[in-house]
Amino acid sequence: MSAYDAFLGAFALVAQLDNVLALALGVVVGVIVGAVPGMSATMAVALALPFTFTLDPIVGILMLIGVYKGGIYGGSIPAILIKTPGTPASSCTVLDGHPMAERGEAGKALEMSLYASCIADMISNLSLILFAAWLAAFALSFGPPEYFTLILFSLTIIAGVAGDTLLKGLISAGFGLLLATVGLDLVYGTDRFIFGEADLMSGLNFIPVLIGLFAIPEVLLQCTRGDDEIGRVARLGRSHVTLAEMRRCLRSIFKSSLIGVLMGAIPGIGGAPAAFMAYGEARRSSPNAANFGRGELEGVAASEAGNNGVCGATMIPLLALGIPGDVITAVILGAFMVHGLQPGPLLFQQNIVVVYAIFIGIMLSSVFLFATGMIAIRAFRRVADIPKSILLPAVLTLCVFGAYAVNNTMFDVAVMFATGLFGYFMVRVGMPAAPFLIAFILGPMLEDNFRQGMLMGQSDFSIFFRSPITWFFWALTAATVALLVWQGRKGRIVPAG
Amino acid sequence: MSEDKGREPGSKQIRENDIMGRSTARTTPAVKTHAEPTRLAGTALAAALALSALTATARAEYPDRPITLVVAYGAGGATDIAARNLAAVAPKYIPQPVLVVNRTGAGGATGTASVKSADPDGYTMVVARVGSHTVNPAMKETLPYTIEDFRYVGVFEINPVICATAASSGIDSMDALIGKIEASPGEVTYSSSGVGSLLHIAGALVIDAFGVENVTEAITHLPFRGGGEAATAVLGGNATFICTNSSALMGQIEAGGLKPLLVTTKERMEGVDAPTVAELGHPELEALVGWSGIAGPKDIPDEVHDAWSGWLDQIVADEEFRKSLIALGSIPVSMDTKESVAFIDNQYEVFKGLVDKLGMRIE
Repeated sequence: MSAYDAFLGAFALVAQLDNVLALALGVVVGVIVGAVPGMSATMAVALALPFTFTLDPIVGILMLIGVYKGGIYGGSIPAILIKTPGTPASSCTVLDGHPMAERGEAGKALEMSLYASCIADMISNLSLILFAAWLAAFALSFGPPEYFTLILFSLTIIAGVAGDTLLKGLISAGFGLLLATVGLDLVYGTDRFIFGEADLMSGLNFIPVLIGLFAIPEVLLQCTRGDDEIGRVARLGRSHVTLAEMRRCLRSIFKSSLIGVLMGAIPGIGGAPAAFMAYGEARRSSPNAANFGRGELEGVAASEAGNNGVCGATMIPLLALGIPGDVITAVILGAFMVHGLQPGPLLFQQNIVVVYAIFIGIMLSSVFLFATGMIAIRAFRRVADIPKSILLPAVLTLCVFGAYAVNNTMFDVAVMFATGLFGYFMVRVGMPAAPFLIAFILGPMLEDNFRQGMLMGQSDFSIFFRSPITWFFWALTAATVALLVWQGRKGRIVPAG
Repeated sequence: MSEDKGREPGSKQIRENDIMGRSTARTTPAVKTHAEPTRLAGTALAAALALSALTATARAEYPDRPITLVVAYGAGGATDIAARNLAAVAPKYIPQPVLVVNRTGAGGATGTASVKSADPDGYTMVVARVGSHTVNPAMKETLPYTIEDFRYVGVFEINPVICATAASSGIDSMDALIGKIEASPGEVTYSSSGVGSLLHIAGALVIDAFGVENVTEAITHLPFRGGGEAATAVLGGNATFICTNSSALMGQIEAGGLKPLLVTTKERMEGVDAPTVAELGHPELEALVGWSGIAGPKDIPDEVHDAWSGWLDQIVADEEFRKSLIALGSIPVSMDTKESVAFIDNQYEVFKGLVDKLGMRIE
């Protein structure tokens, strides 16, 4: 069968009303679920899975992909509006999205988030279609030593998001690392800081910590302020992204999308680190660097392009190698298998029509994402108009629901409130929350990969220099640190340490 | 208390199930015929008992409200998909909805422990799994539960184990692997989805059975966070071999990326060019299989146990259920409680024996 025939066959498979509707429904469900704090894109996909069993394989798989993409985008809506990321991948969007909303530019932030997400999504899809084989080979060359050096480099972002005082940023990161060590030791399986609590054995769950860190301090601060500024809030949400602004951010969007694609193709990294990495890079190279973290449009663009750039690319290891890169693609793998399809190199030989149909559908999903997003923005931007006396209790309720929904235990709700109080304390002493969060996400990854590398190399450090990839990241890390020191010397007041 | 709260998000989920659920034409009447009379009968009974004053809820026929089925592993994993498959066909046989709830963490310990301490009223059941109910209890000293803390209904699926290496590694048989281990002790690694997982003990059990001395020194255990990562490590050459459920490796084996070395089934597996453990002279390794079953807290009444026992028989016989399990690489089995408990106990003893012998106990 020629590629052309295969393409026609694939087109015939996708171009049916119910298939297109299923895909659209998937995106809509994804955006809604993603927008609810605590309901992550992963949960949305897992919950949708049983519904796809009776559907045609292509329809079912496309629906799940739609849910996934919608979910990752949807998470940015509450991140911007109520400072509560709907999914972990949107946690970076909070940094600039929420300050923008506070300034009365919620509409602009939401729009930019949608544009960046859709452009990144397109780029990610195209990379999947054009470079799947090449990127899959690249992904396989990542072992624990390569991950270790990559994550070590990513930690330099902390210096970037630490704000004015590096020292406070480092202390914040230290707290993040400390909390991340709770749970079971990866290699020995021994308990760490669990104090005999069965609930602590699994460590602190990411989502309650996330909600606690961002949303609760915000609610507390607003409460203590006490004024219900209906007049001011009513003006919110009328601003739009101008063409000039779009042009200004385009470079960051493309760069962030590529970072997202690479991070997505490498199994096990995921949306949150990709967003932070993209954000770090955008901040480094932007003329508006000083404005990052204070409501910079480019920051929103970078983090959203970074996390949505991951979506299409995570399908690369799945389709090309049959490896699920993360939990979401593992669920999608399940959907393939339920229908008797086995992703991997053979799929391209035996079922090329299916592969092409997925490619067509995945491109179509970007279009639906854009349409759904436009409607969602219209619906959600009114959130910014709600008076605080109604909004704050609603947010608090959502937070409790979100923390509870992750694992169905009240323990997580307690974790959320505890982190919330701590987060409030941090705000009060002017300690930035972002380094805490980055350390909390990346710390365990750094530790795991370091220890796996040491096991592989039988305690010989030279394994961390075993390949060009490791050298590349060592060099980047060294260069970044050198640059930071140099900038510090040049006059910016940076406390030693 | 936590259970009461648990029903709210859960019941929403099941409503979606009814609206959007599979085979609406077939399930809906089934739900109706079962549910309506029961609910009516339940209401009547409850009303009557309320009038006559005492303990209405305890007397109502089981089940009179949705049943929570706890999965101690993440959404989308093998256990989760098996449970969701079960919940999807359940409305045909179980008069109340079955809500699958993921309570993950600590290699399945968190969710399992939560069911141990749940009310033994039959409204909180757990999907017992090889990792949480035999490997972990055999290995971990400080686990907050033991296998005796549960009353088992039955095992409903079995997943055979395959050991494999990367095709590019040049290791194409168990002999070659053992040769390599003995030539350079400590250098050969095997990947797992974490301490206390089936994969962790499987690698050690197989190598021990093949007569390698001092297994924990001879091979290095390389834990990852999840089965996908573990398989990728072997494929990418970062770990030497892996022993895990066949379904996790089939794609790679068919595509030629991984070379299977053995299977723990009685007969050879279709599409897998590898000898059985019996052919290799180690039929005792046939105990090395993954499995899922249904269990409840230790004190669930006979009424609950017997009801579940009947449902499970019907579900395992259900064509739709069987088909989806087989597609995922599992073998549906129908084991009654006695057989299941004997099976679980045997596997636990085999694992515990190995843990004691090799000093793998985690304290």
